[in-house]
Amino acid sequence: MTQFLMFLVNGIAIGCGFALVGSGLVAVYRITGVVNFAQGMFAVVAALSATSFVALGIWHGVAELMAVLVGGFAGLATGVVAVGRRGTQPLTALLVTLAVGFLAYAIEVLVWGDQPRSLPGLDGRAALLGVPVQRQYLLVIAVTAVVFVLLWLFFARTYLGKALTACASNPYAARVVGIDVTRMAFIAFALGGVLGGVAGVLVAPLRPISFDSDVSLIVGGFAAAIFGGLTRPMMALAGGVLLGITEVMIRAYGDASYGTVGALVFLIAIMIWQSARRPTLHKEAV
Amino acid sequence: MSNVPETAVDSGPGGPHGESVIEVADLVVRYGAATALQGVSFSVGPGEAVALVGPNGAGKSTLVNALSGIVRPASGTIRIRGRLAHVPEGRQLFGELSVEDNLLIGAWGRSDRDPAPVYAVLPELRGLARRKAAALSGGQQQMVAIGRALMARPDVIAVDELSLGLAPKVVTGLAAHLRALNAERGTAVLLIEQNARLAFDLCSRAYVLEAGRMVVSGACEELARSNEVARAYLGGGTGEEP
Amino acid sequence: MSISARHGARQARRGPAEPHAAYARPRTGLPSPVLGGIAATALATLLLPLVLDRGGLALYIDIALSACVVVGISLLMGFAGQVSLGQAVFFAIGGYTAAVLVLNDVPPLVGLLAAPVAAGLVALLLGVPLLRLHGHHLAFATIAVHLIFLVVVQQSDTLGGNVGLMGIPGFSVGGIDLADHRSIAFVSWGVLAVVVLVSHNVITSRPGRALRALATSETAAESAGIPVGRYKLTVFALSAAFAGLAGSVWAYYVGFLSPGMFPVSMSITFVVMAAVGGMGSIWGALFGTTAVKLIVSYLGMLGTAGGMPDYAPAVLSYAVYGLLLILILLFLPHGVVPALRDRIVRRWSAPPRTPLDTAGRDPGKAGLPPANGRP
Repeated sequence: MTQFLMFLVNGIAIGCGFALVGSGLVAVYRITGVVNFAQGMFAVVAALSATSFVALGIWHGVAELMAVLVGGFAGLATGVVAVGRRGTQPLTALLVTLAVGFLAYAIEVLVWGDQPRSLPGLDGRAALLGVPVQRQYLLVIAVTAVVFVLLWLFFARTYLGKALTACASNPYAARVVGIDVTRMAFIAFALGGVLGGVAGVLVAPLRPISFDSDVSLIVGGFAAAIFGGLTRPMMALAGGVLLGITEVMIRAYGDASYGTVGALVFLIAIMIWQSARRPTLHKEAV
Repeated sequence: MSNVPETAVDSGPGGPHGESVIEVADLVVRYGAATALQGVSFSVGPGEAVALVGPNGAGKSTLVNALSGIVRPASGTIRIRGRLAHVPEGRQLFGELSVEDNLLIGAWGRSDRDPAPVYAVLPELRGLARRKAAALSGGQQQMVAIGRALMARPDVIAVDELSLGLAPKVVTGLAAHLRALNAERGTAVLLIEQNARLAFDLCSRAYVLEAGRMVVSGACEELARSNEVARAYLGGGTGEEP
Repeated sequence: MSISARHGARQARRGPAEPHAAYARPRTGLPSPVLGGIAATALATLLLPLVLDRGGLALYIDIALSACVVVGISLLMGFAGQVSLGQAVFFAIGGYTAAVLVLNDVPPLVGLLAAPVAAGLVALLLGVPLLRLHGHHLAFATIAVHLIFLVVVQQSDTLGGNVGLMGIPGFSVGGIDLADHRSIAFVSWGVLAVVVLVSHNVITSRPGRALRALATSETAAESAGIPVGRYKLTVFALSAAFAGLAGSVWAYYVGFLSPGMFPVSMSITFVVMAAVGGMGSIWGALFGTTAVKLIVSYLGMLGTAGGMPDYAPAVLSYAVYGLLLILILLFLPHGVVPALRDRIVRRWSAPPRTPLDTAGRDPGKAGLPPANGRP
C-alpha cells in the first residue's frame, strides 16, 4: 500500500509536467487555433537555461524564474514567426512551429551541446501520511496547483484574460470591438512559453533533459490537452494527471519499457473516440 | 465608377454638407477578383439616423466592415469624425463570457469602462449582467451587442441587420431603444437593413445599395413614396426574413 | 458579387494544407524547352552513377530513396490533404521486412518485393482507425505511432532490439551481385522510377482527379459521392508502400538496422522536403528532396571541415531544415516547383494571369465574418 501511494504521488508529479505543457498548448490553441508543436521546446529551453544559470552561481529559485522568462521569450518569438504573417492557416502554422522546433535544436546544440543535462532540485524525502515521498515531487505538484489557480484567475478575473477569452470565443467580434487579434495571439504564445518554461524547470530535476526531449514532452502535453478538446485548461490538468499515473503504474506493475506506449495508445484512443462523437466538428476544425 | 445615379435631394439634420461623422467617397472593396463595392459614396451627419437598404449580397455588410476597419478598401476614402461603433450582423457576442464581460470588452482601449451609462440606456441588460451571452435569446443578444457597441461611447453606431431573425415585437422594442438613443443622446445611427420598412420608419434619410453601387438615395418619406423602391423593397415586407 | 467572393474565401479557409488552386484550373501544357530540360536532366541523372565517387554515390542513393518516401508524402498531403509525421515508420518497416527475410535465407529480390507489401498492409491496418482523424489530430497520431513503433522494435528480439540487425546481405538478383555502390545507385533509381510511374498513373486516373477534390474540401468531395474514406486509405497505403520499398533497398545498402536510425525527426525531414518542392506534385517531390539533400550535404561537408566542433554538422542540418521549412511555408506555401511552373506557364502561354487566378490563390486577405460565428 505504501508502495502504491509512492507510485501514485510519482505519477501525479509526472502528470503535472504533462499538464503544464498541455495548458500551454491550450492557451495558444484557444486563441489562435494553432497547435503549437514548439511547446515542448519551450520546456527544454527553460530547463537547459536553468542548468546554465545555476552553473553561473545564480541562486536556485531565481535561476528557475529567469529560465521561465527565457521560455516566455521563446514562446513570443515562435508566435511572431508562426502567426505574425497575415493569412497563415492553422495547419500551416503547425508546420511552422515544427520548423521553429528544428531551428531551436540547432541553437540548443550550439549553446548546450547534445548531451543530456540535469538540474539539481529539492533533495531528500518528506513523509506524507506516513509515506516517504521525494520532496521534488511534492514541489512539482504544489507549483502546478498554484500555476493552475493563477491561470484560472487570469482568464476569469483579469481584463486581459477576458479579452483573450473573447478572442478565442469570437475572433471576428474581437476585431469589431477593436482588439488587435494578432497581438493577442503573441500574448498567448508568450503565455504558452511561460507555462512550458515552468514545466521544464520542474521536470528537469526528475529526468535529464537534452535538446530532443521536446518530442516526448509535446506528445505527453498534447495527450493531456486533447483530453479537454484542447480548449479547457482544467481538463488538461485532469488528463495530464491521469496520463502520468497510467504511465507510472504500467512501469511499476507491468513492463517498464511499455510505460510510454500506454500514454500514446491512450492519446490515439481519446482522439478517435472524440472524432467518432463529433465527426463534422473535426472536419471543419482542420 | 462615380456615375452613381443620385435621384433624390439630400435632406435631414446636418445633411451631407455639414460636419459629417461618416463621409465615404468612391469606396471600392474587392475580394480577390470579385468587386463587392464599386465606387460608393455616402455620408452621415452628426446626430443623424441614416438607413442603408438593399438586397442580400448588395455589399451592405462589406461597407460596414470597411467602416470599422476590418476590410481594407482597394481605393476611395473613408473619413470618420469621432468614434464609430459597430454592431455586426448576427450579433457576434463573446458566447463564453457573461453579459457584463461582453460590455466591458466593448470598452477595449478605453480607461473608462463603467457599464452604468449603458445600463441607463438599456435597463434590461442590468438584470442579465451575470448570464452567459450564449445562453440568451436572440433579442437579448441583439441588445447586448448594441450595449457592447455603446461601451465605446460612440458618436455614431452602425447597426448591421438589426431585425435579422428576430420576431417583429422584439424588433419594435429594439428600434425604440435606438430611436431614443438617437433622439435623446444625439448618437448618430447608421442602420443597415434588408427590412426597408423598418429602416424607413426609424431613419430620416436612406441610401439604396444594389450589387455594390448606390442606386438611390434621399429622404425616407420620399423613397417610401417612390414606386420603384416601394415595389422592390416594401412589396411584401413584413419584417420577417427568409 | 460579394456572395461569390464570400464563398471563395470560406472554402479557402477550410481547405487543408494549401491545396492547389493552381491545379483547379485546366492545365496548360508545359512548353517544349521545359520538357527538353526535363529530358536532359533525366538522362544526366541516369549517367551520373558512372562518374560519381563513393561519397557522391552515397548522396545519390540517399536522394533517390528519400525521394520515394517524399513522393508518397506529397501524394498524401497534396491530394488526400492528410499530414503524416510518421512516414519514417514505413521506411523502417520496409527495411526490417527485407532484412529479416534475407537473414532467414530468402532471396533479396523477394525481400525487396515483400517490403512494400508489408508496409502497405501495416498502413491499411493503421489507416482504418487513424484516418478518421484530421489535421493536427492526425499529425499527432502519426507521431504517436512512430514512438510506439520504436518501443516495439526495441522490445523485439526478432528485430534485434536496441542493438539492431547486423550483417544484412547485399542486394543480388538470381546470383548476380548488385551490392556495390554503383549497382545500388541504379537499383535505387529504378525503384524511384517505379514510384514515379505509379504516382503519375494515380494522379492522372479518374480517382486521382477525385482525390484532388478531396484535398480541397473533404465535405464537398463526400457530398459529390466520392468514397472519401476508401481513397484516403488507398493513398495512405500507397505512400507507405513507396516508403517500404525504399527502406528495403536502404537496408541492403547500409547492411544494418537499429531503432536509433529512425528518429521522429527523420519523418519530419521528409515532410520538409515535400513542402519545399510543393505538395501534390511529383516533380516537386523530386526537386525538394534533391535540393534539401544537396544543401544539407554541402553544409555537412563544411561542418566536418577542420576546426569545427563535432556537433557542427548536426547544428547546420537542423538549422537548414528549420529555416527552409519556415521560409517555404511563409513565403512559398505552394512549394518551389508549382510556383516556378506557374511562372513558366504564364510566360509561355498567352493570356496573362486572370483575376480569378488571384482570387483563388490569395483568399486570406478578405476579412469576412467567420462562417460559423458563435453568437
